[in-house]
Amino acid sequence: MAGLELKALHKTYGQVPVIKGVDLSVSHGEFVVFVGPSGCGKSTLLRMIAGLEDITSGELWIGDRLCNAVEPRDRGIAMVFQSYALYPHMTVYDNVGFGLKLARTDKAERDRKIRDAARILQMEHLLDRKPSQLSGGQRQRVAIGRAIVRQPEVFLFDEPLSNLDAALRVDMRMELAKLHQDLGSTMIYVTHDQVEAMTLADKIVVLNGGVVQQVGAPIDLYQRPANLFVAGFIGSPKMNFAEVSVQSINGGMVTVASKDISAVTVAADTKSLKVGDRLTLGVRPHHLSMDASGTLVGGVSLVERLGNETNVSLRLPSGATWLVVLDGDHNLRPAQALQLAIDAEKVVLFDAAGQSLLAAM
Amino acid sequence: MKLLRRYWLTALAILVSGVVFLIPFAFIIMMAFKDRKQAALLDFSWPQGLHLWDNVVEVVTTRNWMLLTAFINSSILTVASVTLLVVFAAMVGFVLQRRKAKWNGLVEFLILAGLMIPPAIVPTIWLLQGLGLFGKLHGLVLVEIAYGLPFSILLYRAFIATIPRDLDEAAIIDGARPFDVFFRVILPLLWPVTVTNIVVQSVAVFNDFTNPLYYLPGNQNATVQLTLYNFQSQFNSSYNLLFTNIALITIPPLIVFLFFNRQIVAGMTAGAVKG
Ligand SMILES: Nc1ncnc2c1ncn2[C@@H]1O[C@H](COP(=O)(O)OP(=O)(O)O)[C@@H](O)[C@H]1O
Ligand SMILES: [Mg+2]
Repeated sequence: MAGLELKALHKTYGQVPVIKGVDLSVSHGEFVVFVGPSGCGKSTLLRMIAGLEDITSGELWIGDRLCNAVEPRDRGIAMVFQSYALYPHMTVYDNVGFGLKLARTDKAERDRKIRDAARILQMEHLLDRKPSQLSGGQRQRVAIGRAIVRQPEVFLFDEPLSNLDAALRVDMRMELAKLHQDLGSTMIYVTHDQVEAMTLADKIVVLNGGVVQQVGAPIDLYQRPANLFVAGFIGSPKMNFAEVSVQSINGGMVTVASKDISAVTVAADTKSLKVGDRLTLGVRPHHLSMDASGTLVGGVSLVERLGNETNVSLRLPSGATWLVVLDGDHNLRPAQALQLAIDAEKVVLFDAAGQSLLAAM
Repeated sequence: MKLLRRYWLTALAILVSGVVFLIPFAFIIMMAFKDRKQAALLDFSWPQGLHLWDNVVEVVTTRNWMLLTAFINSSILTVASVTLLVVFAAMVGFVLQRRKAKWNGLVEFLILAGLMIPPAIVPTIWLLQGLGLFGKLHGLVLVEIAYGLPFSILLYRAFIATIPRDLDEAAIIDGARPFDVFFRVILPLLWPVTVTNIVVQSVAVFNDFTNPLYYLPGNQNATVQLTLYNFQSQFNSSYNLLFTNIALITIPPLIVFLFFNRQIVAGMTAGAVKG
């Protein structure tokens, strides 16, 4: 039984702050994904949990132990690296058993554990090979096997799939999800790929610039992003944004308009709003539809017909470009004018500071 | 004719290297077969009669089997120095490459200084005497290590830079203590450079003449290179014995070279190109 508790974690390299106060609590058995753009500090945070980086300030609790000064081997963790980091001079068998050997596990016990792990990962036939004789996917399995034999409370993954090709990545993603179900351990997974994050996570932690932007279930982050960054980062294709100004406020409803959008009335937290405020409106490409009485008009600049849906790049009067995903197949020509309706229920408004103005549920 | 035109440079190169490398060797061997009178002529002639066995017996038994003592001393000296040299140099290279500390610059300067500044004999002897190590075999071991260390460290460090740090970290997560990381993960991966170091340094130490001369005086302490003086003096030199002696003490380095030949070049160029 081991959850995790991160309290005001900070990390600075010399004078440069990289992690700027992360608070997070992870309960036992959760699959948590750290996601964010490259260089935002995901790996650093993971390595602080692993004990590979010193914690500048703050507290790290694993289970009910304060682990700031605990050696990595005593933290009850195992880690899978992006580069796999297999020992090139050892066979797969020895790679997987290295940790057990160091822990002086007796030989029969060690053999049993190695073979168990190999069976779970279906790599029994690879045990006698050296890492250089394995494919990328097989190496990844060995790296995971090495983590499994340690029977850790917490698994740490640092972009484990980013060196695999696309098809294999999808397979391994499913296997990881299954592994999590079977083992029931806590898993912390770092990725910059938001599709991996959405599909694997019980809980996503969105990081940017060393600061947690939002923590929540994938679908919450998609539907109720806390700020502009999360709204733009989660979801594919990306959310469309437009500068709007408040026209009128009526109870929990606010009507906004801009040069491109004639008027749209949205439910929002209106407490701090007044007429004339400048806001940012966000709407996902899927939440626009063709409608002759729609509030948005633009010129088609690029069309991708995928059969089941049509991606349209739309040029708005203000010069902004929006992406629209229309259901079904539409034979649209470039430069054609398109009138669209915005699904007002799915629209999110952001104040000048970039925080979302979602109405309380 | 066409063949000659195309390959004359190659042929010339082979010829020159043959003259430079093989003729002295052939000279040594032939001298070792001659008797004292013919050898004194110092000419490049075919030996009259086979006197090799007599020469060998005389060389080995001279001065109360001194050559045997010398071989034992040299072997101990070489094995001890090179073993410690390899372990220490790999460790220093590892720490220097992996841990960036503020005194790295100073350490690197000292290594370069060790390569460039010629050794000072008299102060070294004072130091050895102060430590009670002068004229002792283990004192000389330390001296050889000190002289060989800078070059070995440079070789190792370049190679360690090509070993990904993830490997160290994976081992740490697996529960390895620093010594486990070094001896079980890093050192085995350093094998190509280790071979190079073993060959280069053991030949250097085994063939070292000056350091044993300065730091290890006394007949009981002779190393193989010093036995050459047994047959060489201002008025009376037994060239047949001298060259037999040379031939005998050339055998061990030759074996080392033949044994590790293939792996040496790999170690020399490893780290130069990432691949
Ligand atoms: N050893 C280091 N020294 C200085 N800066 C570092 C070091 N390691 C990482 N950084 C910086 O910390 C930031 C976060 O890095 P990292 O955690 O690797 O990002 P990512 O989210 O892509 O995994 C980056 O801007 C990087 O330049
Ligand atoms: Mg990273």
